[in-house]
Amino acid sequence: MIEVTGLTKSYGPAAHRFLALDNVSFHVASGTVFGLLGPNGAGKSTTIKVLTALSRPDAGRCIIDGIDLSMAPLAIKKRIGVVPQENNLDRELSAYENLMIYGMLHQVVNLPQKIQQALEAVSLWEKRETTVNHFSGGMQRRLLIARALLTEPTVLFLDEPTIGLDPQIRRQLWDVIRKSRRAGRTVMLTTHYIEEAEALCDMIGIIAAGRMIALDTPDNLKKTVGEYVIDFADGDGNLCHIMTRTREEAYEQAKTLSNGVTIRRSNLEDVFIKLTGEKIE
Amino acid sequence: MTGWFPIFLREMLLFKRKLFKLGYLFSAMVVPVIYLITFGLGVGRSMQVQGTDYLTFLIPGLVAMSSMTNSYTWVASALNLNRLYFKTFQVLVQAPINSFAIMIGEVLAGMAKGLFASILIIAVGLLVAPDFTLSWLLILTLLLNCFLFACLGVIVGMITKSHEDTSTYNNFLIMPMSFFSGTFFPVSHMPKILQEAIAVFPLTHTNILIRKSMLDSEGLTALAILVAYAITFFLLGSRLIRQYSE
Repeated sequence: MIEVTGLTKSYGPAAHRFLALDNVSFHVASGTVFGLLGPNGAGKSTTIKVLTALSRPDAGRCIIDGIDLSMAPLAIKKRIGVVPQENNLDRELSAYENLMIYGMLHQVVNLPQKIQQALEAVSLWEKRETTVNHFSGGMQRRLLIARALLTEPTVLFLDEPTIGLDPQIRRQLWDVIRKSRRAGRTVMLTTHYIEEAEALCDMIGIIAAGRMIALDTPDNLKKTVGEYVIDFADGDGNLCHIMTRTREEAYEQAKTLSNGVTIRRSNLEDVFIKLTGEKIE
Repeated sequence: MTGWFPIFLREMLLFKRKLFKLGYLFSAMVVPVIYLITFGLGVGRSMQVQGTDYLTFLIPGLVAMSSMTNSYTWVASALNLNRLYFKTFQVLVQAPINSFAIMIGEVLAGMAKGLFASILIIAVGLLVAPDFTLSWLLILTLLLNCFLFACLGVIVGMITKSHEDTSTYNNFLIMPMSFFSGTFFPVSHMPKILQEAIAVFPLTHTNILIRKSMLDSEGLTALAILVAYAITFFLLGSRLIRQYSE
């Protein structure tokens, strides 16, 4: 379980203060996947950094599995696994050595056995003696996930876990995340891939300019802004969209428009555009 | 409090990989050996300093200098890179260990690297300087110096805002200490006003203590100053780690 209340974080000197998180609050139930969706610089990574004790907030309260982060950070660190956005593996050490050091830092018992299980889970056991700088981007990502799962955390944080990966590897990682949820873990991930959020998340938070502007299930978010979308070109050839609550309403509206009209179900990208006025890049 | 061991082990695994590359051994040795040849075998061949031949005077100074630069540089540079570029420092901060464990692990790793370079100089010294001998005081001073400068390395590694910044600290701290603190000639040869400024440098006291065969009052003062520096640097480094926030 993750409970965040009034989280605020700013950077820089007082004269040029940048507010990265502005009074952000949300709740993630145990055993669910929560996706934080937003464009670059929205505050997604900052939220993860604060929740994983890497960054101190200016204000706010973070409770993970009933433990207050500000009161007992070491207890929280024992419960969480983190897959960072940037690769922070030791590139000159082998896959096995990376996991061994990590496991020792986290006092993992039966470490050799756990390392084998973790590497097998991401199909890297055969490459255990290879140094990380000889791994492809996808293999490094898989190793980061194996490392995060090594400690059998109750809460898993993934910051843009599939960024820059090809679709096949991305889907492999989605399977790992789904397995984590089935194992009863609470998962929080940030992404700006709409299909990733749709495929994995039970709850979505949309964050823009450091503020949580929407928080609900994917279906409810779509219902809120309209379940159907009419795509059409205006007189100047620009692509336009109209969102409607029902299919019938969409057909009625489409009749009034000229050629090149399509009607489709809305997706989270439509929700995002409607709420923020910008596209996720 | 066992959290320091994986940090130390990690550094040693990385060190082992570097060690087997010929370039590393060469780079650890090159500067002190150049000084040894230039000042010891060249300029100082026929000189006497403090009642002994110059080479016997120089070797402990080179051991002190080498232990300083290697303990300090490896820690400051690695910590800076791990914090700002490779982001591997995040792994330590997110581990369930306290700041003292991180500090101890980093400092012991820095000490190991400083001791390794110093042992090479000592071996050369035993070969070329017939009057140079190993004493318990030299070993104690060497360990203390490695500890102290590894702690300073943590401080610099934590406060620098870019890798280039570490060069600035090298130029303002390490370089002046190398030349002014009694490595190559006694501090008493310097102008009086400079002697007082030089007394602030910890390496000055290392150079006093490392050349003593017995712990006299001057040696005790030097030891007390070095211990005070070591404790201060250790606590300051631990505090910087504890306050770390991205």
